Amino acid sequence: MTTLALYSNKGGVGKTAAAVNLSYLAAQSGAKTLICDLDPQSSATYYFRVKPKLKSGAKGFIKGGKQVYKSVKGTDYENLDLLPADFSLRNLDVAFDKVKRSKKRLRKILNPFKAEYDFIFLDCPVTISILAENILNAVDYALVPLIPTTLSVRTYKHLLSFCNKNNYDASKIYTFFSMVDRHKKMHREIIATASKTYNGVLQSFIPYLAQIEKMGIYRAPVAVFSPESVASRSYQNLWDKVQRTILSPQPDEMNREGSIG
Amino acid sequence: MLNNLKYNLPDNYNKQQLIKELSGHYTIKKESMLAEKITICDTFDWRLFNKSLVLYASGRRLFLRKLAKSDIIHSAVISTLPVFIREFPDGELKNQLAPIIKMRALLKLVEVHSRSIPYRILNAQEKTVARLAYEEFRAPPKKDTPVLATYLWLKPVKGYPKYARNLAKRIEAAGFTLSKADDIFFTVLAAVNKKPGSYSAKINLQLDPDMRSDKATKVTLRFLLDVMRINEANIEKDLDTEFLHDFRVAVRRTRSALGQIKYVFPAKTTARFKKDFAYVGKLSNELRDLDVYLLKEDTYKAMLPPILRGDIDPLFDHLRKKRSKALQKVIRGLKAKKYTKIMKDWEAFLKKPLRDSATASNAKLPVIDLARNRIYKKYRNVVKLGSQILENTEDEMLHVLRIHCKKLRYLMEFFSSMFPRKKMNTLIEQLKKLQDNLGDFNDLWVQKEYLLNIIAELPTAPKRSKKTLAAIGSLIGSLDNEKQTVKDAFAKTFTDFASPANQALFRELFASTAQEVV
Repeated sequence: MTTLALYSNKGGVGKTAAAVNLSYLAAQSGAKTLICDLDPQSSATYYFRVKPKLKSGAKGFIKGGKQVYKSVKGTDYENLDLLPADFSLRNLDVAFDKVKRSKKRLRKILNPFKAEYDFIFLDCPVTISILAENILNAVDYALVPLIPTTLSVRTYKHLLSFCNKNNYDASKIYTFFSMVDRHKKMHREIIATASKTYNGVLQSFIPYLAQIEKMGIYRAPVAVFSPESVASRSYQNLWDKVQRTILSPQPDEMNREGSIG
Repeated sequence: MLNNLKYNLPDNYNKQQLIKELSGHYTIKKESMLAEKITICDTFDWRLFNKSLVLYASGRRLFLRKLAKSDIIHSAVISTLPVFIREFPDGELKNQLAPIIKMRALLKLVEVHSRSIPYRILNAQEKTVARLAYEEFRAPPKKDTPVLATYLWLKPVKGYPKYARNLAKRIEAAGFTLSKADDIFFTVLAAVNKKPGSYSAKINLQLDPDMRSDKATKVTLRFLLDVMRINEANIEKDLDTEFLHDFRVAVRRTRSALGQIKYVFPAKTTARFKKDFAYVGKLSNELRDLDVYLLKEDTYKAMLPPILRGDIDPLFDHLRKKRSKALQKVIRGLKAKKYTKIMKDWEAFLKKPLRDSATASNAKLPVIDLARNRIYKKYRNVVKLGSQILENTEDEMLHVLRIHCKKLRYLMEFFSSMFPRKKMNTLIEQLKKLQDNLGDFNDLWVQKEYLLNIIAELPTAPKRSKKTLAAIGSLIGSLDNEKQTVKDAFAKTFTDFASPANQALFRELFASTAQEVV
């Protein structure tokens, strides 16, 4: 069982789109997959046509156990289940703060799912508080979508120094480029520098594409409504990279020379 | 959570009829047809089937499920079908299968083609709330061979149990019946004439206690001959080490039966075949020894200090080379006239009608009397010898005791069908523990000696070979230490075996005989 978070401390970088498409691709390969929508905005839940509702809300979620388990819904796709979001999740930070071993709570909540699923994906809200620590404690790997802009890279640096300061293992953090526009010189340059500077940069780009935005109209992963599109192929490529470099690493696949910035 | 439900179709049912009926109540969306090739695997001796497990590959994944159940226990991504457990990707599937499959090769049992037409049942939000699928199975080789079975699947979607329950009611009302016990596994194997569980090297005979002893012995020997024949054909293919192993066990049991079930055949016949099977056994001694060393490669490496682990490789490379030569020798031996004649004569002898002879004084005895007599005598032998060893533990005597135990074990297995199963199993279990102890001791002793001798054979390449020698030396040291540990454990193992309770049980089952036995 492998747990992967689509995480970023910056908003609007393509976390949900990646979480939805990657979890779909994982399930398609025959792996039992769960996607947990931790974002109170519930976009992933919306994409899967499920009502954003958890039994007993965020309170029940924090408690873990049966209530959480019962909230899981099957999606339109075989092998892919969803733990829906709930509006009350907006208070998750506060709620985590009140419980014992508050930084490892999420890990405990996910534990019962580990026997059943081969992959668990977390679609995370923007955070760098106690929820972020919960996420880092709960997952095997965090995938951070990075828009090749100065601000985005700057936020990524914050995340790495946050990990350093709080003793989180930065080697479980991987990044890929998201919303890329190859026509922009700056994008190309930042991609080149960031790939050299940071560890764990997957050489995979999700371009900025209208097809991806259309997920909101079709309420489905891109591979479902537009299987031959560039968008669909780039998620497939990203998933291949994730499998080959993170899940079952092969030599020479990874650029690990750079130092942590 | 509701499980997937599998239904048999009513006779001569038009598949569209159900979908038509249901679309009066639900929004139904037909999906595109899915075609899959499913490869079902097991070991030659049906290890997975014996544990009610079905392992199959479909697409790029390997799936494990229980027989007659559809839920997947574990699955794993594969690039090619693994043959040995070491070729499995790390994970729960491997962990569960390793102690079952052990050193055996996985063989493709059969391929089956599945074609399914899935339907999704949608709610008002056009969200899938249940799935239906018609699935057809066809046997190989061609995709358009006749359909072996057709099922309707109802697959509930998590979180929407009501839909599944209501659909189940409607499906049953339409005349579909839940198909619980049957499994496509059986259907498709029957289609290619394979019987699950049909091979096992374990003695599985039902002897009538009143049967003449010579006849019962022939029945037993016939069974062993079948085991030899089945495995002999596969030794050459070299799929795994256990074909040879099972073959050799059958040969050893045959020799033991000839020696231990006394005076049932004419003395001349017995003597001839004892000699013949000693020859057959010897044919593959070297190959089996090499197999054992190579199977232990990882264990041996783990015994070495990490600094020397890489240096032992030349030894195993050497053993591998020796093994391929030894295998060729065995193959030649099994094709040679001498072997062919032995087996032909043996088969003819077993087929021949029973014949009285002056030297076969036990031939007409009811087999139960002979069984009791032989087992009890051998048992007392073992206890007597073991007790002597307790006072003075000599390596050579442990070896002799091991042989006696083996003979006792074979006798008990030959005749076990005539005695209460539970009691028999308890005794065999106890004996097995003692045999394991003696077997380990012997193996360690033999291995140590073998390694000492092999040093002379190793090809010498300057620097490297010196470290290799150091590694072998270290290994010999470890083996010697372990040998002592095993030897120390003998006293307790034997005392357990010879406990008053066991002695009483042996007496109860085997001490009395109705007729005089020679």
